[in-house]
Amino acid sequence: MNTTRKGCTLAHCRIWPALCVLLLAGLSACTSTTIDEFRQAETGISHDETVVILGRRQGAGYETAADFVQCVGDRMGRGRDGLSVVPEQQFVDALFPWFEPRTAPLRSDDLQQLMAQPMVSEKMSQFGIRYIVWLDGQTETTNRMGSISCTVGPGGGGCFGFGSWEDDSSFEARIWDVSSHTAVGTISADANGQSYMPAVFVPIPLLARVEANACNSLADQLKLFVQGG
Amino acid sequence: MIGSINPVRVLIMMMLATLCACAASTVEVRGSYPSPTIQRIPLTLGVYYSDALRNYTYTERSQTGDDEYYVESGQTHMELFNTVLPAMFENVVLLDDPAQADAMGVDAIFMPSIDEFQLGMPQKTRLEAYEVWVKYNMRLTGTDGSYIADWVMTAYGNATVGGLSTAESGINDAAVAALRDLASNFSISFTAVPDVRDWLARRT
Repeated sequence: MNTTRKGCTLAHCRIWPALCVLLLAGLSACTSTTIDEFRQAETGISHDETVVILGRRQGAGYETAADFVQCVGDRMGRGRDGLSVVPEQQFVDALFPWFEPRTAPLRSDDLQQLMAQPMVSEKMSQFGIRYIVWLDGQTETTNRMGSISCTVGPGGGGCFGFGSWEDDSSFEARIWDVSSHTAVGTISADANGQSYMPAVFVPIPLLARVEANACNSLADQLKLFVQGG
Repeated sequence: MIGSINPVRVLIMMMLATLCACAASTVEVRGSYPSPTIQRIPLTLGVYYSDALRNYTYTERSQTGDDEYYVESGQTHMELFNTVLPAMFENVVLLDDPAQADAMGVDAIFMPSIDEFQLGMPQKTRLEAYEVWVKYNMRLTGTDGSYIADWVMTAYGNATVGGLSTAESGINDAAVAALRDLASNFSISFTAVPDVRDWLARRT
C-alpha cells in the first residue's frame, strides 16, 4: 500500500499577501509525506496487550533519535482508539542487557532465542508486550542556500537576506509479533519539505515540519496496522 | 558610588576571572545503571577495587597541551560493578584486600582495571557528538591469587551535541553510555570467556 499526503498549499495566498505572510509565519512551509506498507501476516491486539517502540542504534553513521521514537509512541497512544505503548527507556532498562545497541536482536529469529530465556519471557509477559516495533531512520538537512546578515548599531538593528534548506526524513518501522516470534510487516515513511527564512529587519521562519509529519503519518499507519485495519 | 571602587580590587577580580576561564574543568561522571535480567551463577564472588580504579581520572588536553578536562570515573565504575555483579552471582563480597578472600569464604576474586580511556570532543573530531572509549582488563583469580582468567574488554558510548547542553554534560552522558555498554557486554559475555567457562564447569 502506498499513500502520499501533502501539507499546505501556497495557491490560496494570492489575494491578501500581507495576511498570508503573517499566517505563514505562524504556520509552516509545505511538506510531502509518503507511507509504504508491507504486510506479512494478520495482526490484531486486545485491550490487555501493549506495544513497545524501540529505536535502532546499531549503525555507525547515525542513531534513530529517541525524540522521534517517543513522538511515534505518544501519537499511537492518543485518542479513543489509542494503544497502550510501553515507554522505550522503561522497557530497555527492565530487560537490560538484552535490548542495548550491542546486544539487541536484529532478526525475528533472534527474538525466538531471546524468548527462550525464562527471565526475559517473564518480563515480556509482565509488560503484556504483543508487538515490538523497531524504528530505523533519520532526518537529514540538505541544499542549504542563501545568507542572512544582521547588524546592530546605536540606532537599532535589523537583518536582511534570505535562506532556505531542505529536510528529508526517512524512517522504517519493522513490526515483530512477540506471541509468534515472527516479523509481521514493515511500514516506511518518507517526508521532505523546503523551509524558508526571509529576513527584512526581522527573520521570519517558514519551517517545514518534516519530522513531525513523518512521525504523525507513521504512527497513524502503525496504529491501523497492529489493530488489523 | 563610582568613586568608592578600588581599582586594585577590580584588577584582581579581572585577573581571577581570566585565570578561572583558563582552568581545567572537572567532570565527575554520575549515572544510574539497571540491574541485568540474567540467571545468577550459584557462587560467591569477592570483588577488589584497586586504588587505581577507585581514583581513576582521565585528563583531556587541549590542542596547545594544557589540561582541559579532568574526567573522574572511579566512583561510577564501582557503582556499576556493585549493581551488575549481584545480579550475576548468588553472593558478592567487597574486599578491602585480596588477602581477606579466604577468610570471607569466596570462590574467586574479581579485579577490574582500566587500561585506557579516550575522549572524543566535537571540536576535535568534527562530529556532532561526544564520544568515550574505554579499554578494561578483567582479572579473575583464586583465593590464593592463582590464575583463573584474564581478559580485555572495550566499551563505547556517545552523546549527541545538544543546543543548550554543556561540554561537561556531554562528556558525562557519553561516559555513562560507555559504562552501560560495558555492563551489557560484560554480563552477557562473562560465561563465554573460555577460561571462565572452564572454571565454571569445574565449580558448578
